[in-house]
Amino acid sequence: MKRQNILYKSLYLIVAIMMIGCSEDYLEEPAPTQSVSEDVIFNSREGVEAFFAGVYRLSRRQFTSYDSGGIYSMYMARSVKGNDLINTTSWFSFDYDNDNREPTYRRTVFSWEYPYFMINQLNSLINGVNASAELSEEDKTELIAEARVLRAFNYFQLAMEFQHTYSYDPSLPAPPIYTELSLEGKPMITLQELYDFILEDLENSVDELGADRINKSYVNRSVAYGILARVYQVMENWSGAEMAAAEAYGGDASAVLDASSYANGFDDISNTEWLWGLPQTSDQSNYYYGAPSAFTDHYGQAYSSVYVNPNFVDEFSATDVRNTFENAYGIAPGDYREYVTNKFTFAFDSDIVLMRTAEMILIEAEALYQQGREDEAHDLLFALQSNRDAEAVRSDNTGSDLFEEILLERRKELYAEIGVEWFDAKRLRRGIDRDPIHRTVLTLEPDDNRFFLKIPQTEIDANDAIDDSVNSDR
Amino acid sequence: MKKTLRGLLTLFMVLAVQILFAQERTITGTVIDEEGLPLPGVNVIEKGTSNGVQTDFDGNYSIEVEEGDVIVFSYVGFSAQEREITASTSTLDVTLQVSADALDEVLVVAYGAQREKAIVGSVASLDSEVIQKQQLTSVTQAIQGNVPGVNILTSGGQPGENPTIRIRGVSSINASADPLIVVDGAPYNGNINSISPDQIESMNVLKDASSTALYGSRGANGVIVITTKRGGYNTAPSINITATGGLSSPAVDLHETIGTNQYMRYSWEAERNALEYIDGVAPGEAGALAAQSIIPNLAYNPYNVDQPVDANGNIVDGASLLWETDWQKEMLRETSLRQEYGMSISGGGESSRYFLSANYLDQEGSVKESDFERITTRLNLESQLTDWLQVGLNSSLTVSEQNYPEQSGNSYQSSIQWIYSVSSVYPLYRRDANGDLVFDNGAPIYDYGSTSGQALNGTRPMLANENAVGSLYNYDNLNKRTSATANAFATIDFTDYLSFRTNLSYENYLYDSNVYAAYNVGYAANVGGRVTQNRDITTTLNFINSLNFNKDFGKHNVQADAIFESYKYKGDYLSAQGTGFLPGVKVLNGSTTPESVGGYVNEERLVSYLGRASYSYDDKYFIEGSFRRDGSSRFSTDTRWGNFFSVGGSWVVSDENFLAGNSTLNFLKLKASYGELGNNRGIGYFPYLQLFETGWNQLDATGVLLGGVTDPLLSWEKTASFNVGVDFGLFNDRLTGLVEYYEKESVDLIYDQPLPISTGNSSITTNIGAVKNYGLEVTLNGKIINKDNFSWSAGLNFSFDNNEITELTQESFINGTKRWEEGKSLYEFYMQDWAGVDPADGYGMWYMDVLDDNGNPTGERTTTKDYSAATRYYNGSSLPDVIGGFNTDLTWGNFDFNMLFNFSFGSQVYDGSYASLMRGFSTPGYQSHEDIAARWQEPGDVTNVPLLLNAQNDFNSRSTRFLFDNDYVRLRAVTLGYTLPGSVVEDLNMNSLRVYLRGDNLFTYHSHFGIDPEQSVAGTTNNRSYILKTVSVGLNLQF
Repeated sequence: MKRQNILYKSLYLIVAIMMIGCSEDYLEEPAPTQSVSEDVIFNSREGVEAFFAGVYRLSRRQFTSYDSGGIYSMYMARSVKGNDLINTTSWFSFDYDNDNREPTYRRTVFSWEYPYFMINQLNSLINGVNASAELSEEDKTELIAEARVLRAFNYFQLAMEFQHTYSYDPSLPAPPIYTELSLEGKPMITLQELYDFILEDLENSVDELGADRINKSYVNRSVAYGILARVYQVMENWSGAEMAAAEAYGGDASAVLDASSYANGFDDISNTEWLWGLPQTSDQSNYYYGAPSAFTDHYGQAYSSVYVNPNFVDEFSATDVRNTFENAYGIAPGDYREYVTNKFTFAFDSDIVLMRTAEMILIEAEALYQQGREDEAHDLLFALQSNRDAEAVRSDNTGSDLFEEILLERRKELYAEIGVEWFDAKRLRRGIDRDPIHRTVLTLEPDDNRFFLKIPQTEIDANDAIDDSVNSDR
Repeated sequence: MKKTLRGLLTLFMVLAVQILFAQERTITGTVIDEEGLPLPGVNVIEKGTSNGVQTDFDGNYSIEVEEGDVIVFSYVGFSAQEREITASTSTLDVTLQVSADALDEVLVVAYGAQREKAIVGSVASLDSEVIQKQQLTSVTQAIQGNVPGVNILTSGGQPGENPTIRIRGVSSINASADPLIVVDGAPYNGNINSISPDQIESMNVLKDASSTALYGSRGANGVIVITTKRGGYNTAPSINITATGGLSSPAVDLHETIGTNQYMRYSWEAERNALEYIDGVAPGEAGALAAQSIIPNLAYNPYNVDQPVDANGNIVDGASLLWETDWQKEMLRETSLRQEYGMSISGGGESSRYFLSANYLDQEGSVKESDFERITTRLNLESQLTDWLQVGLNSSLTVSEQNYPEQSGNSYQSSIQWIYSVSSVYPLYRRDANGDLVFDNGAPIYDYGSTSGQALNGTRPMLANENAVGSLYNYDNLNKRTSATANAFATIDFTDYLSFRTNLSYENYLYDSNVYAAYNVGYAANVGGRVTQNRDITTTLNFINSLNFNKDFGKHNVQADAIFESYKYKGDYLSAQGTGFLPGVKVLNGSTTPESVGGYVNEERLVSYLGRASYSYDDKYFIEGSFRRDGSSRFSTDTRWGNFFSVGGSWVVSDENFLAGNSTLNFLKLKASYGELGNNRGIGYFPYLQLFETGWNQLDATGVLLGGVTDPLLSWEKTASFNVGVDFGLFNDRLTGLVEYYEKESVDLIYDQPLPISTGNSSITTNIGAVKNYGLEVTLNGKIINKDNFSWSAGLNFSFDNNEITELTQESFINGTKRWEEGKSLYEFYMQDWAGVDPADGYGMWYMDVLDDNGNPTGERTTTKDYSAATRYYNGSSLPDVIGGFNTDLTWGNFDFNMLFNFSFGSQVYDGSYASLMRGFSTPGYQSHEDIAARWQEPGDVTNVPLLLNAQNDFNSRSTRFLFDNDYVRLRAVTLGYTLPGSVVEDLNMNSLRVYLRGDNLFTYHSHFGIDPEQSVAGTTNNRSYILKTVSVGLNLQF
């Protein structure tokens, strides 16, 4: 009995051995299900456009934290650094204090890491398109132009955040330039080199782009010129700024302004005045990261953390469509919480503005003024003013008074959108002087170091080409 | 009942004998111990085969054998005996002697079982008795304090969460450092909380290379081999019922926080200091201004007067509190309930045996509303179909449900963070601007700190639009788990020395998480509520075929195994999220707007060829070698195959003539092993591919983004492991012990090497560097008193474990609170060194290096008030110098008593919660620790607590100020039991009845108060809820 059934036993063994099968095929079979290879992306225009879609999406995502989500958070941090807005102790309060700049702070790391993250994506896109054998030359030119504008835009943010303004001293150290994937850190360069690179990207690209685009979150010719106008503005190339701004909005102020849309809550990218923005939908939202509305809107069940300086409120006439201020809590005068702004409406699907025609009109006005063409500047300024306020009266200002009027108009038009007050104070080397109403009263002298951030410690730790001394005089 | 069964059994046996062939015969008999008491459960096995039975409760057995066969009688703790069957044998009664060395016990090891004496590696075994001495919700917790060299960190106050286990140090950085868990021979991928402790026969910890080499690429972190219970052949059915019920509360006290009146005084002081020292306001004016700004800063006024604090910082006369919220009391349970019921039936006939078990557990957690409820069932069947074919099936089904409110981390509703963040100034329930309660249909409403249009008592400056207490009731956070396993095996005996075994195991694990955020309050109120559901199905198929050879040639014994294994893991993930719900609707069907859907599949495969050969001579000299070749789908075709091996040997010195009969040193065994193992877990499924990730859509346009940069040649981590040990028994085993030294060096670590973030990538996963773990483990067990009705034994184990980085490709890495460089440990803290408070101005100071002209440190240190200028230094380690356990058992008559302590000394912990509580009112509204009372107040004050300052500062930034010694001793388990006398029990028709009183974590001595000493391997805190201590009563019945 014991020695029987050898046959059966052997059969079991054979079946088992058969199951061992061919192991190499067995190991090759699993494949990633949620990602695609380079070929899929760079072998067709559709593939590259999907890459662009990802890049635009990233710019409105949640990068690190509520106050460091994307480009919109950088703008918000700039907005609360000035005199016009007053931040509570909630998010952005350290930016409001103008001391959120140490090498280990989240703001510092974010403002460095986020643009560079975008730049790496764009470098990959540019180089992938360049190397593609399948794409037509025409497609390549256009796609690369769009990517280069975006790359320049991100380098421009680095230039603004990590050094004095260009006109202060272009020989100062500035963040390094990468144009391809690198596993090695690069050394700091000069501000001049950085601006040269930004200009090269922009000037070579603006005319390669057309007016068409999928929607207003994409860069087209007009947006590219708008970015170039801002760069020229900082570099004080006034003829360039005049030209670029006019190209951006088309040159006809009355055609691109719509005062009636002003009170609609700044939450819709289809607004005629919006040149560029970040669209949101309820299923593609950055949720409570959505600056500025999540912070400025006191009716949106979010942070309700920004109030408006009453002295700034006083600059708006009662008939100005932009006068959306309200004493929402019934607070007595003298308390910083007297005024809130209803400019921005918060919802998960509120779109976020990045560039508007009014800004371009005012850049052109400023550029005209700087070139000594005061009347033209004043005309353009009044074109905007009369659009905003049917009862507006043209001022008698000339010379520096006119210049101040243009700058004030920029603040009134653009507050809480792009950090306009900080941007102007920095590039024009004017400083910021806060009114006593503020929670944190302070004065930023012209060219104060607090106008820029220190270099992040994580960069210094991992980058052999940058050491601790980079922060020694920051 | 018992008699009837036995009668039937006898009748059956008589019949069975009748139909046997002439040369087959049935041998029956009784096995007793030296005192004449019957021994149940003795293994009675035909030598060299798997033909075997077990004795029943009366020590009787019956086995079919042929003339000339040898029967082996073996039983744990007794010396095995062999008897040859002669023509005349029909009954065979055997008296087993208590074993001198208890080393004939058979332990389950990698891909098989081995006699303890023959083991050449390092295997620590926990039997069911040890496991049953604790109240375990997750079974691996039992290892804590019982096995030297294993560092276990309990996972906080949410029941159903599993502890972190590190066997012999930490030998991986970015890949997984968790041990492999094997249940009944198959790797386990489900949640280990699916197994109830009463189903476990043994849990063995395999620590060195020779014991884990057969797990090859998954063995480097050690292996825990769990074997579930089975019935015994020819054993009457035995029913075992256990019931326990108990009460729990946090094992240690939370940090002490301050009350509202004190809070207001300090707030005033912080504001005044900011005005006076930073803004330069005159002292008198600063006090008055500060008094005015307190309420606006806090945005809430818990007093009945508009300005509750005067210009001198005192609470004004007549001011009384309208509320003072004790968040801890609102958030945590004072006592939580735990109840567990288990029942098992086991037994077997001549050719089959079974074990059937069911267990129910319901345990409440430390945070209100948190709980864990589990039902586990198991059926293990085994059948000897013919004399050469044995088949079996181990199967289990477990369902559990866990309500898991956020209780660690930084999300707004995270319980402990809330207690340590939100001061008592903020009300639990909504108040109007006058401080009166606001009612909704007569009921108070939780205050979410975001009441629009209400300047006072409306907008909380921190954690706005949330109320963590409210979230316990208004949100759901449910985890449902279903785990089903089927593990089938068949063994074929070709000859008495050659057999084949096939084992196919399948595991299906379903995890369903369901998060509901309320429609009317909190973070999803503006979209009418949100439901997020994830449903993940994980399946594991493991197929093992092995050919086993085992033959004696005189005094020589040779064993060899050839094994083929294939492993397939598949994770299938599905998620959906929607918003806009009616009250009471919490399922996705009720969603108005679908927010997102997602799903993907991950698959991993492993193909392995294994071999093991061992040789022993005279049961004194043992040598063993193992080899495994693994191919893994996680690596590229070029790098996926790895070879792993081990060799080991042992020498039982005490069996040599020169020690034979020595009563002082009655047992001595020396052993050593060396091997090389691998690790590929915890690094993702395709870590070598750089791809474009889908899901980055921009409105209607499909979008992708480039994933992180990768190393296409990424390959295994390899660990070379050396172990040497000595086992000994003294004074007839009154004192036994084990001393082992190990050294493990892991090379080609899978590490996320930091890249400069300016490159657009923050890290690249690559094989970099090496780390070494080495240490000494000691186990001592003593039988102090061993009398008839009184016995006392005690055991102590401890280990010294060290960790050292032996190779890095760059000089150093900063990793959070650590900095890695050669010669240092992975877990050495590296941070700014707190230099105390300057008595002149109350500012905090840190040390910084004095630099020479070339910028190099001179070795001297000076202090600075500029945090960013402070130098970081090495300061202690989060790894303990020594960990271990102590246990003692007392039996006196029918009473039994045991205790288990575990301890850890020499580690440091960085208490981030304390740092937050010591922020010194730099951000209004945040809760504060009582220790803030020692703050600097005026020039000349010598204290370690800086001045209070309502302005951003670095006083509580990461530094040694919040780094504390973290020594502790914990009474893990204590049990007092009473077993009813046999006479009483028999009247009740039972086999035994035991009642017991049990306490878990009852007492903790720890060097740093406020947090539990068990935090994380890295010694950092994460607002974890608190580990529970439990007192319970239990009852155990056996029929």
